[in-house]
Amino acid sequence: MHLAAQILLNGILLGGLYGLMALGMGLVWGVLNIVNLAHGAFIMLGGYAVYYCYAGLGIDPFAALPIAMVGLFCLGYLVQRFVLSLIARAALLSTLLVTFGIDVVLTYLALFAFSADFRTINPSYAGDHFDLGGLTVPLAQLGAFATALVLAGGLRMFLARTRTGRAIRATAQNLTAARLHGINPRRIYPLSFGIGTALAGAAGGLYGVVSQVTPYMGNTLTAKSFVIAILGGLDRPLGVIAGGVALGIAEATTDIYLDPTYRNAIGFGMLVGILVLRPTRLFERA
Amino acid sequence: MTTGRWLVISCVAALAAVPLLGSATMVQYGISALSIAALAQAWNILGGYTGYASFGNSVFYGLGAYGTAIAMVDGHQSFGVGLGCGVALAVACAWLFGGPILRLRGPYFAIATLGLSGAMSAVVSNLGFAGKNVGLILPLYRGDELFYELSLALLVLCTLAVAWIARSRFGAGLVAIRENEDAALVMGVNTPRYKALALMLAAGFSAVAGGIHAYWSTFIDPASAFDSTLNVKMVIMTVFGGPGTVLGPIVGAFSLSAISELLASQLSTMASAFYGLVIVLAVVFMPGGLMELGRGFRRGGRHYFLDNMRRFRL
Amino acid sequence: MRCTLVALALVSCHRDPAGSEDAPIQLGAALQITGPLANTGRYYRDGYQIAVEQINAKGGITVAGHKRQLALKLLDSQSDVNLGVRQYVQLLSQDKVDFLLGPFSSNDALNDSSVAEKYEVPMVQGGGASSQIFSRGYRYVFGTLPPADNYFDSTLKMMLKLPPRPPKTAALVCADDSFDVSVAQGTRKLLAAAGIELVVDKQYPEHTPEFSSILSLIKSKPPDIILWSGHEPQALNFLRQAKSLGVDANLATSYTVGVPAADFRTALGKDAELAFGMTPWIPSKDLKDDWFGDGDSFAAAYEQKFGYAPDYHAASAVADVEVFAKAIEAAGSLARARVRDAIAGVDFHSLYGRVKFGATGQIALPELVVQIQSGQVVPIYADDFINKPVYPVPAWDKR
Repeated sequence: MHLAAQILLNGILLGGLYGLMALGMGLVWGVLNIVNLAHGAFIMLGGYAVYYCYAGLGIDPFAALPIAMVGLFCLGYLVQRFVLSLIARAALLSTLLVTFGIDVVLTYLALFAFSADFRTINPSYAGDHFDLGGLTVPLAQLGAFATALVLAGGLRMFLARTRTGRAIRATAQNLTAARLHGINPRRIYPLSFGIGTALAGAAGGLYGVVSQVTPYMGNTLTAKSFVIAILGGLDRPLGVIAGGVALGIAEATTDIYLDPTYRNAIGFGMLVGILVLRPTRLFERA
Repeated sequence: MTTGRWLVISCVAALAAVPLLGSATMVQYGISALSIAALAQAWNILGGYTGYASFGNSVFYGLGAYGTAIAMVDGHQSFGVGLGCGVALAVACAWLFGGPILRLRGPYFAIATLGLSGAMSAVVSNLGFAGKNVGLILPLYRGDELFYELSLALLVLCTLAVAWIARSRFGAGLVAIRENEDAALVMGVNTPRYKALALMLAAGFSAVAGGIHAYWSTFIDPASAFDSTLNVKMVIMTVFGGPGTVLGPIVGAFSLSAISELLASQLSTMASAFYGLVIVLAVVFMPGGLMELGRGFRRGGRHYFLDNMRRFRL
Repeated sequence: MRCTLVALALVSCHRDPAGSEDAPIQLGAALQITGPLANTGRYYRDGYQIAVEQINAKGGITVAGHKRQLALKLLDSQSDVNLGVRQYVQLLSQDKVDFLLGPFSSNDALNDSSVAEKYEVPMVQGGGASSQIFSRGYRYVFGTLPPADNYFDSTLKMMLKLPPRPPKTAALVCADDSFDVSVAQGTRKLLAAAGIELVVDKQYPEHTPEFSSILSLIKSKPPDIILWSGHEPQALNFLRQAKSLGVDANLATSYTVGVPAADFRTALGKDAELAFGMTPWIPSKDLKDDWFGDGDSFAAAYEQKFGYAPDYHAASAVADVEVFAKAIEAAGSLARARVRDAIAGVDFHSLYGRVKFGATGQIALPELVVQIQSGQVVPIYADDFINKPVYPVPAWDKR
């Protein structure tokens, strides 16, 4: 078994899931200019949704993903429509604070409803793996990676080809012009936010299969999503996945060639580095 | 002296007398409340006046804590020297990273500061002389009154600095940057230098707070020194009290600390949920903070709240 | 939460049928009742509670001829170390508790014990095993978890004796917090003394759930044994990821935490089978106790009252309360310095085992090696074999 190749594979597979996590955050940031500090909480809720579908109703986790996504979409839609829309035109700081407040409330509600016990989504195939030219490919992680690609591709096609998708992009580029063309931001904004939270929910469900679900998992995942969303260019779905893969590979290589304790330093270091070194042109739109 | 000044002096005197007259719990609570108020006030310089909302000031707090701890534990220095080291470390960090990071605007600046704080915490947790992730144990000092008075002194000093800023040319420059940075640049304000100075001032004050915390709790590790919950706390408190005002952060910090303690003692677990709710409501209905609430309410009554909502909603 | 408060209020109000008018002796603690560590924090909350109730039900304790009841004042530190410290000060200065009980986790114990030492109030904590807590020369802090450094001692001794052959290589994976660093340092010495070569020695950041790289590294240099130390949620992840990457030790894998706990086994199901773990305590009829009868009766009473089985955390918590009961009686007064000296001198048998503190204030109990067999936690080895282990443990794909 070639260690370096295996490490690379591990990083890529995990990175796909990371990318999916950040997909929703990037979309919401790019389109609504909302930096959602509650993003991790939505991931967490998605995880619980899939957990209860699996543990309570016996539905296979991958099959339960659409259910979780619909649920999280509705939640996100409502949150944007009734809370975030109230500060849509306020300073950025307000959004950061309000989303933080939402994060606190959602985390508490989850703790209250689900208790602090950690849950794993452990279908029978979760531990399976197969050999590919000397490399071990874990089945669950591969499934998560594939799902991430499918969802990212789907999002890209949605944004590029469908009417609603183009409306969303138009609103992001120029709100006034979009309005002049008859696009109603009161519908588009909650819709976009809902799509963002739906994607977060899917990521949460997959995370539960690959790792575990607790009410507190959100915070670290929000931070990771920042790094990846910025690396990937916010609302460019395939770019975000690539960003996730980049982070996944960076972490995996750090684990082996440095020490696992340097993981977070690499992740945050990449974040600061990208922000400082990337040409400002790419941020003009925001 | 004006009545305003007399009022302020008597408040400070009353606060200073707490260790003599109040209970040990009051001193305890006082130390944390004063400390977070000082942090909020330090944040105010950069976030309130300059308009650069940092979400990573905990990096300076942590560097202050570690500077103090390393000086006292590895270097066997006194607390005073330790504090000096902590401040030096934080200001150096501000100077080093301030340049590149302050070039970013809006959310990117906020995220960059968040990243800086996270990165620093991760780096420190790998340094042997800093105790890695296990942390450092400082010598035990029996005498909470000292820490109380020090925290009070820090808050007073920081507030005086902000009061001076509010009246000075430097402060006018900062406000100009906040309102319209490009225009300020065109008008001749040395924006990079002013921003860097604001950051270093905030860093210095935050570092002292961190150093006091280190010695007071006798133990720091990356998680407690670079406490990420502090970041949001200091922002919330300043925004709640009134950003860009001299007394806003103090009002916000004291009131939110009181509310939080009250909720924690009455409702325990539910407290955090209510706290989150308070934050959301405050930001939606009184974005200018309590300081502006007074003025706004006198003018418009309860319409003040509705107007705020209408002004900013979609 | 309300129920707990009401229950605690009732416990505090309970009057001794003998009619003593003395106020109850207050024991205080700030615990992780909510927050990331709540999963284990609840063992302490419930352990303290059942101990106080049982002691009171049996008539309380006698202090200089008077019968006194025990009372408990618990605060929720929300797994926030800083809040916990403030709450301990509050317990002393505002709630005026007489003595302190400890929180869970070495990090919290490390911080909170400083408060005890500062105010010179005896604290008996059952949640911190790191030797760091006890290396500061503090006099008022005692611990009922054995030193982390020696956790793997009995496991290694056992493995050296088992057929087919003693292990020659090992992989050590530990977290970077106080407890696990102690474990790692101690284990390296034990391995060196046993002549076992360390082929993989990796430290991972405390709360990270990602082990695929470390596991791939282990797979590239297959060791005879894998020794893992950290927190329970991460133990779970390590095991699952080991399975999904097909990583096995030639002989066996052992975890410092997780294996004895019920939710670990429930979450993993069949995957937990044949994992080795350790615990300083397992319920047993042979562990006689002055208040609960024996370990088995305690476990039954605990499970009936709280709805889940106790593990060593809960037993350790009960031992803490019993230490105070014994020490206060021995001291014959509530004077803190006297009680402190009495605690230093206790030596009694309880449902937790023999309670006696070393010079630094830490208990010395051997870790019992356990293995999960058919979903049950089976004690395997203490000083000698109790039950037969399944060893070597077959590889994942051969089960």
